[in-house]
This record gives sequence, structure tokens and C-alpha cells, in this order.
Amino acid sequence: MIRNLRELWQYRALLWNLTQRELKARYRGSALGFLWTFLNPLLLMAVYGLVFGVIQRTNIQHYTYFLFVGLLPWLWFSSSVGAGASTISDRRDLLTKVRFPAQVLPATVVATNLANYLLSLPLMVGLGGLVGIWPSWHVLLFPVVLFVQLVFIVGVSFLVSALNVAFRDLQQIVNNVLTLWFFVTPILYRPDDIPAPIRRLFLIANPMSVIITSYQGIFYEHRLPHWRALTVVTVGSFLLLWLASRVFEQRREEFAELV
Amino acid sequence: MEAIVLRRVSKDFRKNTIRREYTTLKSELVRLLKRQRRPGAPAGVIHALRDVSLSVPRGRTVGLVGRNGSGKSTLLKLVTGIYRPTAGTVEVNGRISALLELGAGFHPDFSGRENITVNGIILGMSRREIRERMQQIIDFSELGDFIDEPVRTYSSGMYARLAFSVATHVDPDLLIIDEILSVGDEHFARKSISKMEEFRRAGKTILLVTHDMGTLQARCDEAAWLDGGVLKAYGDPAFVVSEYRKAVAESELQAQVQPGLPAAAPVHATGRQPRAGAPAEPGRRWGTFEAEVVGVHVRAPGGAERAVFDAEEGLEATVDVVQDAGLASPTLEASVFSADGTLLWRGVQPLPAVPAARATLSLERLGLADGNYRLDLAVFAEEGRMCCDFQKGLHGFAVRSTGGNAGLLRPVHRWKVEAAQPR
Repeated sequence: MIRNLRELWQYRALLWNLTQRELKARYRGSALGFLWTFLNPLLLMAVYGLVFGVIQRTNIQHYTYFLFVGLLPWLWFSSSVGAGASTISDRRDLLTKVRFPAQVLPATVVATNLANYLLSLPLMVGLGGLVGIWPSWHVLLFPVVLFVQLVFIVGVSFLVSALNVAFRDLQQIVNNVLTLWFFVTPILYRPDDIPAPIRRLFLIANPMSVIITSYQGIFYEHRLPHWRALTVVTVGSFLLLWLASRVFEQRREEFAELV
Repeated sequence: MEAIVLRRVSKDFRKNTIRREYTTLKSELVRLLKRQRRPGAPAGVIHALRDVSLSVPRGRTVGLVGRNGSGKSTLLKLVTGIYRPTAGTVEVNGRISALLELGAGFHPDFSGRENITVNGIILGMSRREIRERMQQIIDFSELGDFIDEPVRTYSSGMYARLAFSVATHVDPDLLIIDEILSVGDEHFARKSISKMEEFRRAGKTILLVTHDMGTLQARCDEAAWLDGGVLKAYGDPAFVVSEYRKAVAESELQAQVQPGLPAAAPVHATGRQPRAGAPAEPGRRWGTFEAEVVGVHVRAPGGAERAVFDAEEGLEATVDVVQDAGLASPTLEASVFSADGTLLWRGVQPLPAVPAARATLSLERLGLADGNYRLDLAVFAEEGRMCCDFQKGLHGFAVRSTGGNAGLLRPVHRWKVEAAQPR
């Protein structure tokens, strides 16, 4: 894992440039330009807000803001993993012609989506201000949760992108799993809304629920994250990253031949 | 000090990888559920390289030749580190810049300048090095104002020029080039060559694949010839090139010309079908077959049968002819054509009225330029009015000479060079 990450550090300039390029490419030549970053989460929020806030009439206060707090980090996760799956298998042009550390590719996807997340934070804060919720001192813990989520996402992306080179149907499977995963994660609803007998299972078995509820704690409920759960997820994420790096290292030799 | 050392390197590819048959999770699961073993024995294997040992001293320029699919690119990718060898070891000392494909990683929507940065990093330059060399790279590419336009608007020549500029400004110890020196127009090709010469003078090692034998002999210190994944020859470029060209010429002739006529087949009572050799076929062999050529042998004078000759050598062709009794004034006609179908020479020889005759044509000196040649033979009767057996494109030979020899003819010639008074 150390070697894998050290190589990534050595090639940080490449990572930085590729990320910049991805971001620029996304907005270059489109009339709305940078606003597209916000459009996707805003549309999603509008749809879910309509269904659950207006039609189903949830009892969560300031539902749209609540949605936004959970939706943004979820989009970081799902876009990174969904797009990351094919990021190595799609880059035949690079992998068979130049020698460079392949982990830069999934890392670029993660970094690009992280940038998108961070850039849409002001929008979230503004939306909160609109309904009268301003960030409290709990925001100081935001970098911690962000870091834990980063480790988790990098781990999943490495694993999925490395395996997808040999098993090409993985990316379809991953996208379907992500859809299911979204609904078992407390983004549209609060953990308290889950029936008590299965609530613990929902929260323990799903690292993303711990991460998302931590964000909700910080930004929406103004409380600290559950320390125990967050610690477990942190350790788990590092274990996952370690495992993913091993799988990645073992498989990288066949990338050039298999892509 | 060696720059590259390959020790008994082999590289195999699994056939299902080449055919791009991926395993899917679904199929793996189904197999697991059915409790099947892994499908069959290990799938077929392609030996891309077999037991290649090669060492290149620092500062040498080595040219790789070989036909398509002979393993040249695989060898380059092993040296670059993109592939790992199946067996053996690859040792490389120094920073590598590989030009396996021009513009790997270029993004079409970005300007030339932006692509220089990313491509440069991919090729191993630091950001500082790129900043320092940016202007040099732009100047060398001669793109001018286009450098700030998206590369999708570039012509393929401009694209190649930009990519070549970046790659050669990496300042590697070892430059690896795969068949790309021919990019751009003539002016840029000359610049590329002089850039390569600059590398040579700076004591860098260069490993390049080329199909231009002129480049190889003029620019390389050594040459290696790969055939079917095996290193056939390594050493002096002139020697390697001549060996390679002989092999190519022989296989070309085999494809162009049917191998020598086999032994006599049973005689047909009707006389409509030839007794020996290729069957009658419009455009290849036709005639009444009342007389016919039953055997052709091309050889060096007094030597064994051959297909490839030096221009200064002689050539001897023996033609066996059989004929029915009572044929009036039979003649044998031999014609030499160049590969593009130009008639170079035609000679007619009357034959005696005997059942079987052997005619030997001796050319004391071929005097032809390098190329593949067709030898057409025909037997006529009745003073050329009746065609008994016309054989077109069934025989041939090739000329491969050392030294410059292009065009159609190689006249008997001599060079004389002496010191002169400066004007």
C-alpha cells in the first residue's frame, strides 16, 4: 500500500494535471460552463424534494437542505466508483504505449469528483442560509470525515478498476449495486426512520451510512459524529485500501496485455 | 557499461487475450455453481518472442528490422517496461523515453500547450523541466500560433510534429522509437533525423524500429533482425540488412511464383491438358500443349538452384521442353519483366525437332537493379503463329545487391574519386 501511494505521490503532478484537465474538459465549450457542477445535484434534489417533501410529506424539517447534505458526498462516492470502474480498461491508448503508474487513473476520477463536491459546498451552505441554518463550530470536524471518505472511496475505486480489467461485466454490476446502495443509505430519510430491529444492521454493515450520517450531524443537526462508528469505518477503510492496493499490485502487470 | 541487457527473454500471449475474450463475473459464477473446473487445458499460447538475448552498450544506436508480427514492438514494450517477460530478464540502465505511439494521452479538446504539459509529465518530465523547455518544444514543433488551438484542429502532420517535439525534449538516456521517423513533411523529417544525430553525439542510446533500410544503414551502429519472435541476426547493419532482404525476397518470390514445376504427370490422350506443372488456367498457362515446358530450373552458373541474385552475378535457366512429332518449326521464347510489368528483354530460340530437348539460357551478368523479376516462358510452333504452351508469372527471380542500386538497370560501371584542387 505504501509503495502504491508513494508512486501516486511521485506522479502527483500528473494527477493534478489530469484532474485539472478533466474539470476543464467538463465545462469547456458549454454555455453554462461551471454551473453544470451544481445542476446535477440540484436536479436530483428537486426530484427527490418533490417526491418525498411534497408528495409523501416527510416530517423532516428543511428537507431540501437535509437532502443536499447527504446527496453531495454520496455523488462524490457514486460518481467516483461508477466512472472509476472503467477508467483503466478504457485507457488502452495510454497503458499499452507509455509506462506510468496505473493507479493515477482511478485516483484522477476520485480527485475530480472531490473537487466537484468541494466546489458545490458553498451552494449547500447558501441553501442552508436560505432556510436559516448556518454552520456551527462542528464544521471543524468536516475535514476528518472528508478524509475518512476519501480513504474509503480510493480503496473501492482501486479494487473495482483493477478487477474490471479482467472481468468486464463488473462495471455494469457496480452501477446496479450503486443504485441499490443509494436507497439503503440514509440520504433521503433519517436513520431514526429505519425500523428499530434492522436499524443497527443498516448502520453497521454500511460504511457509507456512517459517513453520510456524520455529515448530517455536522451540517444539519449540529452535533458530533458517532465516534465509535466513525473509528470503525476509518480502520475498515484503511484495511480496504490496503487490500485494494495489494490486488492492484498483483494485477497491474496484466493491465497492458488485457486492456 | 550496457544500456540494455536482455537475457534469454521470452514473451507469450494467451490466445484468448489476443482475441479479447474476457472472462466475466457471470460466467465465473455460473461455473462455480455448476462446480466445473476451469475450462479445459490452458488456452493456446502465442510465442511473441522466443529466447532472445541481446545487449546494447551505452551510446549505441541499434535498429530493429523484421516483418510485421515478428515481435519488434513486443521487444520495445519489454524494454520500456510496459510488458513483463514470461521468462528471462530485462535490464535497463538510465531514463527511458519511449515513442511507441505519437501523442499518447493527447486530449483533442485541449490546446497544444496544455497537451505538452500532460504529455511531458506522462513521459517522465517534471513540471519545472516542462516549464523550462516549453518554448524550445514549441519552437521545434514549428506550430507557431496553432500552439494555442485545440489539437483536434491539427493536421496529422502537425499532431505528429508536436508529439515528436515533446518526446525528444524529455532528455532521456535511452530513446526508443517505433517506426515514426517518417512523420511530417520532408523538412521536418530532416529535422527529426538531425535531432536523432544530436542524441547520438550526446552519447545516448537509441533503439529504433524502422522499415527504411537506408536509415538503418546510415544511422545505426548495429542492427538486429527478428523473425517469428527469434533473433535471427545481430551486428553490422550492412550484413543484417542484406540477410534480411534476401529472406524477404525469397518469401516474396514464393508468394509471387509457384515453386518449380514438379515431375511429369501422366500424359493426357487428348493433349488438351499439360503433362507436367501447373494446370491450364486463363492468364497463367494456356496453349495447345502439343509442345510444352516440363521443367524449369534457375540457378547461378554451374551452381545450385537459387532465387536471389546479386546484380553482378550471372544467371542460368534450364528449360526442358517436350513436343509431339511433326510440329513445324518450334521456338522457345523467354521474357523478363520487372515487378510493375515492364518488359525488359525478350529472346527467341528455335528448337530442334526432337521429342525432348533441354535449352539453357545463360546471362553472364544480370545487371539489373534491386527488385523482383518475372521470367515468362512460351513454346510456339509454325513460326510463332501457334501457341503451344504459354507460362505467365509462373517463374521468377529477385535481385538484391549490396550498396545503392535503384532504378531499372545496373550498367557495368566504375567510380573514380580523387583529391582535387579547391576552387
